[in-house]
Amino acid sequence: MLELERVSYRYPESQPALNEVSFAIADQQKVVLLGANGSGKTTLLRILNGLIFPHHGVYRYRSEPVTEGRLRDRSWSRRFRREVVLLFQHPEAMLFNPTVYDEIAYGLRQLGTDDLDGRVRHWASQLGVEPHLKRLPFQLSGGEKQKVCLAALLALEPRVLLLDEPTANLDPRSTGWLVDFLQDLSVTSVATTHNLSLAGELGDRVLVLSEGHELIFDGQMEDLLGDEEKLLAANLVHSHRRGRSRDRRLHVHDWS
Amino acid sequence: MRARIALLAYLAAIVLGTTVHEIEVLALGLVLVLALAGRDWVRILRRACIAILLFNLVVTLSYGVIAGLQGTFSLAFVVLVNLRVLLLTCLTFLFVSRVNAFEALAFSRSLTYLFTLAYSQSMAFKQALEDFRLAFKSRRIEQVGLRDRYRHSASMAVHFLDKSLHRATEITQVMRSRGFFDA
Repeated sequence: MLELERVSYRYPESQPALNEVSFAIADQQKVVLLGANGSGKTTLLRILNGLIFPHHGVYRYRSEPVTEGRLRDRSWSRRFRREVVLLFQHPEAMLFNPTVYDEIAYGLRQLGTDDLDGRVRHWASQLGVEPHLKRLPFQLSGGEKQKVCLAALLALEPRVLLLDEPTANLDPRSTGWLVDFLQDLSVTSVATTHNLSLAGELGDRVLVLSEGHELIFDGQMEDLLGDEEKLLAANLVHSHRRGRSRDRRLHVHDWS
Repeated sequence: MRARIALLAYLAAIVLGTTVHEIEVLALGLVLVLALAGRDWVRILRRACIAILLFNLVVTLSYGVIAGLQGTFSLAFVVLVNLRVLLLTCLTFLFVSRVNAFEALAFSRSLTYLFTLAYSQSMAFKQALEDFRLAFKSRRIEQVGLRDRYRHSASMAVHFLDKSLHRATEITQVMRSRGFFDA
């Protein structure tokens, strides 16, 4: 479904953001992309969404290279934008319609969908934002905004859902709700996080980006947890003194 | 020291560029600035043209309408104003690209502090602006009309205004907390 072959990306006047990254994601697979802040997770999602393009290497969606030129083809671009959607880390960036209803209907109106009202209400109810349909999106709380954005994306019935730190701005209850909701969705998904304790809940397969912007792990969560060297290289665990004790052990903070 | 000399030269050039009223001298100044930019001259000229486009358009059109109605329109004046703004903008972009402003302002703690605040604000806004641009691109399935573009711009303006107010309050509190307003 999604395939990256030796993809590198560098922002202007800056260090490389991705270095020779290769992987393939099959249909319906749920992948979690782990890495410390600045490791290139957001850049990778933006490439997968066709917003920026690799300087080296190839990105293919359903075996077709995704390039600027390909996205100039209106019918291909229309299909790609409907099928591959991205939930941005800061939902404010995605909201610009006068009401929550219009926000969810935005993509559907562009597609000229039949039963627009039914689809909007269905996804609003799935995401629990139906009571807010007439409200201004920017008046909502951070968690509600994120749900509205997700409803707007899922209303398009995409094949690939890309999620940039979907739990970063959520409180614990909303985080739990979102994890359950995402697990029940039957789409291919790629979710980024720097939270090791949450990674196993967001996907079955784990990709890890190092601070050197390289893919250093591709496999199951259990295998990653047993690989101390990789966890350290990716800056996913830490150690500090516990209370008055001088004992230092690598760990993440979790209650489970 | 070099940065401070560059800052003084830049300020002197700004004063000169503001006080000179001969088109030929301003044009020569622009050529000189672009020559100093070396291989970057196209990039600096392009950025300057984009940066001043809206401002110069509004000023030129407003002048054109008013002076036209009064019968005092002067093409030389239009060229002079536009050339002056272009020269000063190119000069500023050249200065920013060549000189470390933090180093140049190091002689004054207050100026360095204020510059740091302004710089961090502009960096935060630059990143947010990029997020908005990409999010709009990501959600655009068909070509969008003027109404959607207007709504997007309005939403962005509200967000930036809100964020500016929030950050200004926060920065003021930080400055107070660190004794900036104490006598």
